[in-house]
Amino acid sequence: MSNPVLIIGAGVAGLTAAVELADSGIKTILIERQETVGGNALDLYKAFPTDDCFYCFEGNRWRPGIRKCFYRSALTDQPNITLRMNSEVDEISGTPGKFTVKLNVGPEYVNPKKCTMCGLCIEKSKAFRLISPQCQPQAVVYNPEREDDGARQAEEDCPTKAINLDAQPTEETVQISDIIIATGYHEMQPVNVDEYSYGKHPNIITQLELAKIIDPNGESSGALVKPSDGKPAKQVMMVQCVGSRDENYYPFCSKICCIFALKHANILTQEREDVRVSVVYMDIRTYDRYERYYRDARNSGVEFIRGRVSLIQSNEDDTLDITVYDSLLNKYLKFKVDLFVLSSALEPPDGTNKLIETLGLRSASGFVGIADPASENEVVVGDHVYACGTALGPAEVPESVTQARAVVSKILQSRK
Amino acid sequence: MDDSKSVVLICTCGKQLQLGFDFLETQVRKMNLTASVTVHDTVCQEEGLEKIAELLKEGDEHLVIAACSSQKIQPRIDHYLDSKGINSSQIQYVNIREHSAWVHKDLDEANKKSLDMIRGTLARSAKSTKRSLEQKEITPHVTVIGGGIAGIESALSLSNLGYRVSLIELTDELGGHVRSLPIVAPTGKSGKEILSGRLDALQNDNSITILTNTKVRYVTGEMGNFNVHYLSDGKEEKTMNTSAIVLATGFKEFKPTSMEEYRYGKNPDVITQFELSCMLSSGDLVRPSNGRPIKDVVMVQCVGSRDEDYKKDCSKLCCTFAIDNSLEILEKIPEANVRIVYMDIRVPFENEMIYKESREKGIDYIRGRVSMTWEKDDTTYVRVYDSLLDKYLETPVDLLVLSSAVLPPDGTFELSETLGYAIEDDGHVKELYGKLRRNETRRRGVVAVGGVTRPQFVFEAVTDAQAGALIIHNELQGGKIKLISRGAVLEVDDCVGCSLCAQQCPRGVPLMIEQTEAEETDEEQKILFKAAIDTLNCHSCGVCQSLCPSGATQLNFLSNEQLWSEIDATLEGAGSEYPITLCFYCEECSVSTIDIVGTRRMEYPASTRLIPVPCAGRVSIIDLLKAFESGASTVMIAACEKDRCHIGGTGNEIAQVQVDVAQDILNAIGWIGERVDMFRMFSAEPERFTNAINEMVERAKKLGPTPVHEGTAGKWMEVTE
Repeated sequence: MSNPVLIIGAGVAGLTAAVELADSGIKTILIERQETVGGNALDLYKAFPTDDCFYCFEGNRWRPGIRKCFYRSALTDQPNITLRMNSEVDEISGTPGKFTVKLNVGPEYVNPKKCTMCGLCIEKSKAFRLISPQCQPQAVVYNPEREDDGARQAEEDCPTKAINLDAQPTEETVQISDIIIATGYHEMQPVNVDEYSYGKHPNIITQLELAKIIDPNGESSGALVKPSDGKPAKQVMMVQCVGSRDENYYPFCSKICCIFALKHANILTQEREDVRVSVVYMDIRTYDRYERYYRDARNSGVEFIRGRVSLIQSNEDDTLDITVYDSLLNKYLKFKVDLFVLSSALEPPDGTNKLIETLGLRSASGFVGIADPASENEVVVGDHVYACGTALGPAEVPESVTQARAVVSKILQSRK
Repeated sequence: MDDSKSVVLICTCGKQLQLGFDFLETQVRKMNLTASVTVHDTVCQEEGLEKIAELLKEGDEHLVIAACSSQKIQPRIDHYLDSKGINSSQIQYVNIREHSAWVHKDLDEANKKSLDMIRGTLARSAKSTKRSLEQKEITPHVTVIGGGIAGIESALSLSNLGYRVSLIELTDELGGHVRSLPIVAPTGKSGKEILSGRLDALQNDNSITILTNTKVRYVTGEMGNFNVHYLSDGKEEKTMNTSAIVLATGFKEFKPTSMEEYRYGKNPDVITQFELSCMLSSGDLVRPSNGRPIKDVVMVQCVGSRDEDYKKDCSKLCCTFAIDNSLEILEKIPEANVRIVYMDIRVPFENEMIYKESREKGIDYIRGRVSMTWEKDDTTYVRVYDSLLDKYLETPVDLLVLSSAVLPPDGTFELSETLGYAIEDDGHVKELYGKLRRNETRRRGVVAVGGVTRPQFVFEAVTDAQAGALIIHNELQGGKIKLISRGAVLEVDDCVGCSLCAQQCPRGVPLMIEQTEAEETDEEQKILFKAAIDTLNCHSCGVCQSLCPSGATQLNFLSNEQLWSEIDATLEGAGSEYPITLCFYCEECSVSTIDIVGTRRMEYPASTRLIPVPCAGRVSIIDLLKAFESGASTVMIAACEKDRCHIGGTGNEIAQVQVDVAQDILNAIGWIGERVDMFRMFSAEPERFTNAINEMVERAKKLGPTPVHEGTAGKWMEVTE
């Protein structure tokens, strides 16, 4: 009987790997540093390639042929998955196949198996909230920094006694047979990319921030509003390759930003009122069937300018005057925009290089690299160490899912 | 069959639900299909689970649980009962939280709605049957069609998972396109080197049988029992029995002979990128026309791709290949002058660095298009429009290399006719669901990996193959399949052989079997083919049932009688006093949307009743009309969005057809077709449900009661003509 498999990260890739392993009878420990699963997916509203919810991953086999939204994936009830939310990996030692892993487990203020989401605690105290209707575990979360008088009352009145305000962080040491790295990516906050003034003006945002604005489950119920004053935005400019393909930041291409920028451009021009979008680019990289986003965007009147942004000036009414060099016209053009969206690089998340070092893995521009490039086994990153999803580098959702399955396939093969 | 009474368990959600529980308890107790009622505070907690186990043992195992979304509590309840050895298949769920208490402020209305839906579920429960675990043994053998990198990796993966594999290859050698690649970046190795380890492993693996020079002609049967009919070495046709099939037939490079501007096929010095790869691998880097040395090379990107006349989409790989091949040329001929004519250079992730390297090594990039190619004396000339300089340039060239489109391989369409997978607009194999189920096809038991699905880099094809092997392993479970038998059951005696089920099943499960005994019956009466459905292969959408003219095939957990009695019971008393809108919702995207509407406490009218179905395709014209017959003023179906039916891809479209016909019928009899409609939704946009249901409630108010309620004029509105 083997030790369990540790899956670091509960985004789309980590979840898929966990559920596939669990369904195959293998015990897993799924560890996630945030309070809910889903990773970057939770903020994305509509995903390519299917232009529907992002809260979806291949479910379990209790009901064959069916996908699950996060909210009904019942992770807490899957006996082969031990879920550790708000937790991080502290140390890894031992040998491949016999790892000893120390986990820092966050305090369990709310027991997800007991919480019914009845909403009583949320009524009584601002310290409790539901991160999203799609959160998993399906439970409220408690923020100790917002503790108020109502919190204790909520704890007492909770019908299932799910709340424990005195919960403490703990350390747990586990014996692990295989490690799956599914730590995802982080959207670069381009504060240091001076020419774009990110962080200096509220209406200069990144694509993920735009996704949150247009999400119907978000604050403005999906209306395209300016962060500065909450009023509707009509003129939007997007810039590609911010921080990517750049010697000063990341020399690699972040692969999927052209696709999701145009996904957003299409949503704005086709599904919101009166919005005009221009996109400043060097190359539009909507590869494979995603070319249709580019065709769609052109057909909806999205303007494409091959060139570079050279100057940004902010006005009193919070609009921005942006000067762009158009290389095809060989001219400088000036635009007045309400919202300036930066397609920022996908960078490896915090802690990746520590993981790479600890496990002696290769690095692929800071992401986790393939162990033996000549083998073309991209999901095998070490002896009994695997990786899937954007932990390996920028990837689409379907790729992350396929990689997760490939990892599980390799693990099952290794156990035969 | 006799109607069974059910025990009803009502949950108060820790006493937090705003419903009149005493009232509910009293009213439910009076219903004739109720055996007993229990109100509990925390059904999902340990005490509640124990209560459920207790109630199941007590009452002949028919139980109705009125609580929060079954999507949340059913897995927990099923697991708990499973661990106690109790069969949970006779539990029905009613959502009185997300679908009632949380979205309707008026207590009386919420109570009434909850009662009606409980009554309806009691009716469904009354006729339910038990479902148990069934076992099936199948041969643990898989057939892989295609011996390129994806096929080879599939065979190895499946063998490692314990299956016997037959690997079928059309040509006489394994390796596909990869064999001819001089370099597979970024490994720095040639295609042959990449393949060698795997080819050795193949040869040494006794569970893998390799059949080269073999072509698959057609396939019959179903998952667990396919028969592959093939031709080896052009000799007689043979048959192989197999349980699952991996389609790994790779791709074909477009030969742009019809593109006049390039002179491909007329000028031997105009070649495709793959032809260049072959030249680089074999070492003969000279002009094909006269064997003279090569100095000036022009490559053209997007030949046949991103083109309205040929392939609309991008072929993904060609920019990388062009740059790799250019660097190879420079390795062999350092003084070569290579220029790449492009529209967008598309190199993902770290390939960007190879692009940079190529520029540093002197490869020139011209953004523009080739307008003409011609020959004069012994030289080829090319005219290119440079869009950045806004100028035309003409240049002599020794080799013109066309980065030609990646197309699906020959035979993809023909094989689909018997293998049952669907084809995309661009000719590639259509994935079952583009976001999460890329390797499954429409046909259960047929998995597609590698280039046949879309252009893929070598490492992507390898990952695909590994994932595909897992999917097959999930289906075949090593040859001993153990599943709850939950799906369509076909009574052969009732089958009239119309074959609608076989044609329309989203996963190609029903087979039409020749009735050889039918020969003996009367010429007029005999039915030559009847359907057969393996319930264990069925994925329970109900499309076959909604289309079946004789009721021969029905879901064993939602028969026609069950749904009709549920409709009737839910709508008891409906319509004469006030309008009711009945909504059938699929338990995929729709239940998510409606549940999220609940979790977000978005309100909508309480004059609505909801009935769950596994897939919108389960709802037939008869079901819709029965709803009107029972008193509904308007009826709607809530389904997954277009192209995204989560069960099999087509259930929602079949439902649309049923709704369209129902509209026609209602119009024809003067009841107004607008009363019935279908709406598509997904949970990222919960307003889709609230907009839809508000629309149907509006229509009910506008159109008034149906003539079913003639004679009630004056009660709430004149019956419309």
